[in-house]
Amino acid sequence: MVRLGEIFKRLRFRQVSALLALLLALPLGWKELTGFYAWLSPFILLNSIFGLKSVVFLNLAGLVVLVFVIVKKRWFCRKLCPVGLACDWASSFNSGKKNRIKKIPSIGKWLAIFSLAGAILGFPVFAVLDPTAIFNGFFGAFSHSSSLVVIISLAGFPVLLLIHLFVPGIWCTKLCPLGGLQDEVYRIKEFMVTQMKGDRKTASVSFGGRRLFLASGFGLVSGLFIPKLLKGETKPYFRPPGSVPKKYFDFLCVRCGSCIKTCPSSILIHHKDAEDAVSWMIPEISFEKGYCLEDCNLCSQVCPSGAITLFDTEAKGMLKIGLAEILPQNCLLTQNKECDRCKVACKYNAIKIDIHGPYDALPVINHDKCNGCGACFVICPAEAVRMKHLSSEL
Amino acid sequence: MKRRSFLTHALVAGSALTFGAGCIRKIEPAQTNERQADNPGNSPLSGASITEPARQIPILAETDVLVVGGGPAGVAAAIAASRAGAETYLVERYNHLGGLWTGGLVLPLLSTHAVDKNQQTKQVIHGLGGEMAKRLADMGMAIHEINPVVDPEAAKYVLDEMIRDAGVKMLYHTWGANVIMEGNELKGVFIESKSGRMAVLAKVVIDCTGDGDIFHWAGEQYDEMKYHIGLVHRLGNVDRIDKTKSGYVKMDIGGETPIQSVNWVNMHGEDNQDGVDMLNLSRLQMDYRRQVWENVQKIRQTPGHEEVFLLDTASQLGVRMSRIVDAEYKLTLEDTMTFRNFDDVIGISGAWTTMLYKGKKVRKRERPYWQIPLRSLIPKKTENLLVAGRCFSFERELVEDTRIIGTCLITGHGAGAAAGLAVRERQAVRNLDISKLRKLLVEQNVWLG
Repeated sequence: MVRLGEIFKRLRFRQVSALLALLLALPLGWKELTGFYAWLSPFILLNSIFGLKSVVFLNLAGLVVLVFVIVKKRWFCRKLCPVGLACDWASSFNSGKKNRIKKIPSIGKWLAIFSLAGAILGFPVFAVLDPTAIFNGFFGAFSHSSSLVVIISLAGFPVLLLIHLFVPGIWCTKLCPLGGLQDEVYRIKEFMVTQMKGDRKTASVSFGGRRLFLASGFGLVSGLFIPKLLKGETKPYFRPPGSVPKKYFDFLCVRCGSCIKTCPSSILIHHKDAEDAVSWMIPEISFEKGYCLEDCNLCSQVCPSGAITLFDTEAKGMLKIGLAEILPQNCLLTQNKECDRCKVACKYNAIKIDIHGPYDALPVINHDKCNGCGACFVICPAEAVRMKHLSSEL
Repeated sequence: MKRRSFLTHALVAGSALTFGAGCIRKIEPAQTNERQADNPGNSPLSGASITEPARQIPILAETDVLVVGGGPAGVAAAIAASRAGAETYLVERYNHLGGLWTGGLVLPLLSTHAVDKNQQTKQVIHGLGGEMAKRLADMGMAIHEINPVVDPEAAKYVLDEMIRDAGVKMLYHTWGANVIMEGNELKGVFIESKSGRMAVLAKVVIDCTGDGDIFHWAGEQYDEMKYHIGLVHRLGNVDRIDKTKSGYVKMDIGGETPIQSVNWVNMHGEDNQDGVDMLNLSRLQMDYRRQVWENVQKIRQTPGHEEVFLLDTASQLGVRMSRIVDAEYKLTLEDTMTFRNFDDVIGISGAWTTMLYKGKKVRKRERPYWQIPLRSLIPKKTENLLVAGRCFSFERELVEDTRIIGTCLITGHGAGAAAGLAVRERQAVRNLDISKLRKLLVEQNVWLG
């Protein structure tokens, strides 16, 4: 028994947690849980809540962590964070230079406050810097062929480790917005507790201050203006079903890549549009390999930021991705060939073959029923189906 | 921890949680009141009926194997059973063998090829199907190596010869009319012809009617599928089209056949049609013949096409699907996409359409070959009955690959061999020794993977 106790003592919570995070992130088949660590992050949680003014069921996991973070200082960092563990490990190769970072101000909490203030107006600026998102993004990027965007997504985590070889400890203590947020939340709680006790003399913490005011003020301002400044002429793209409107989607998405990794038809890819850097790495649907399955809501299950709203598979018919359109000049039926693949493939009964005579038939798509899943586009042997963007996207 | 600080913690935590739980959002389906309007149908039956008096029916024969329906499946079944040593009768309602393949003018033998585990395209239809294709090709009456298109009259001749050589007793111009049952045991079939109603008693009956008439009468469970019904026709003199003539416009004149001057023209036809409703078939027949005629006239009036003429329309409507039996095993799309192995495999078939599988596109040239198990030919309840042809047991998603000539030849061959073996071994087809069936099929040149 003593032995067991010893082992248990030595068994560090964070090591176990990091191992678990790694297992969940690797493609081992637990598709629903692949983004679970991002769900635990209170930073993503608060950005999501502030941005959307509502929560989804899995947010409760983040809320529980938030409670722990309020009670215990930097509880997430000390007990759960896989990135923190990896950074500490990388730092251990260069432990002599720890004093280097003492002069650097802690930027993390300002990033956090800035983000949250921006989130209220729909633009959580630094939400992408959440460590769990970077961690997940690294594993999400493996699933697809390489492009600059995928490389960026892939690079985040290794770059963090690399930095620690030169400047040990910099991320966790100074830069990480999740860490900064935890510091700030704890400080606010301490402040409230001392206020409630009415013991003003012993109050070693204060709340407010010019910096906080400036950070949140800038955040609000950036939330108002940056999206407008960045919006040039951007090409529309197909977003996962249940996505929030594009203007929110670009910013709310933390680029964790969980949806890309979990998609069973592998139709989600990292969005790359040279002229639209704002939406880089965002999940985009490409109908090259397949279509959006009628009985799947995995992307909405794993999305930690609420960019893809959790939906019931039964509701999928009304969540429009785009619209399918028939190109009669290519359709085999106009060449008197035998084909009804699009009609058979459609799971929403949106396609009817309009027969005027045995030698005069054409598929017709009911756009009220079509949700743009792309099945007809994928199956069409003659490239007679085109996927059209929703008019709200244009 | 002091009581007050504990309370403070609890307060903060509680408020955070209630905030979270208060406004959970999830998109759920709206309640729809939309109801599918039932097809009213067009049954003219008044509801009145009359009793047919009981009568004595002469027994034409007591045989080992009776095959009802002389389409690709029926011909293959009869020859295989006969070659396995069983006395075999074959009942066919028209004046030719080959069913839709020949008289129905659906001339391509799909699908002779598919992809193997090494991504190589290879021929999968061997056995009797391969024999027929080879004989026709040797006669110059089949074009293309993959999915050959045959000449219907040549095919009718070859099938007749093969049936004759195998010693099958042929009953042309005869229609299977009802089953003779003893409990769950099928004893034979009543047949109807110009000679009146007769009975053929058999140890094993193979239902190759395409519409599954036999298992329908026997009271088996089945899926009823309504699908496109068409009427195929052939055009003559297509080699005399003058493309240089002024005013020439390219018209759709169908696909080539082994006869240079003749093309066959497919018709997709109307969807959602009942293939076992005689009144519906009568209506479609009339409509389609008129439409074919008008279409050919339109072609003849187009400059350059004056010499083209309507050679013939098919002797029967192209009923693509009707009944699908619920057999001991229902073949699934998954099986056909994953090289699923069955112990009781009776043949391997190919694929000719692009399919969706698990959300992904599988092009026709990437489609794997697939095994067909004997269990998918054995109905759940009735003894002494096998089902072959387009009505054997499969998921609807597979219909494009299961309803075609090549698969019918494979299931027919498997059913015939199984029936012949069951008679020889005096066993029920349900309890056949699978290793012996495999040996017999291999002897008959069937490829089993």
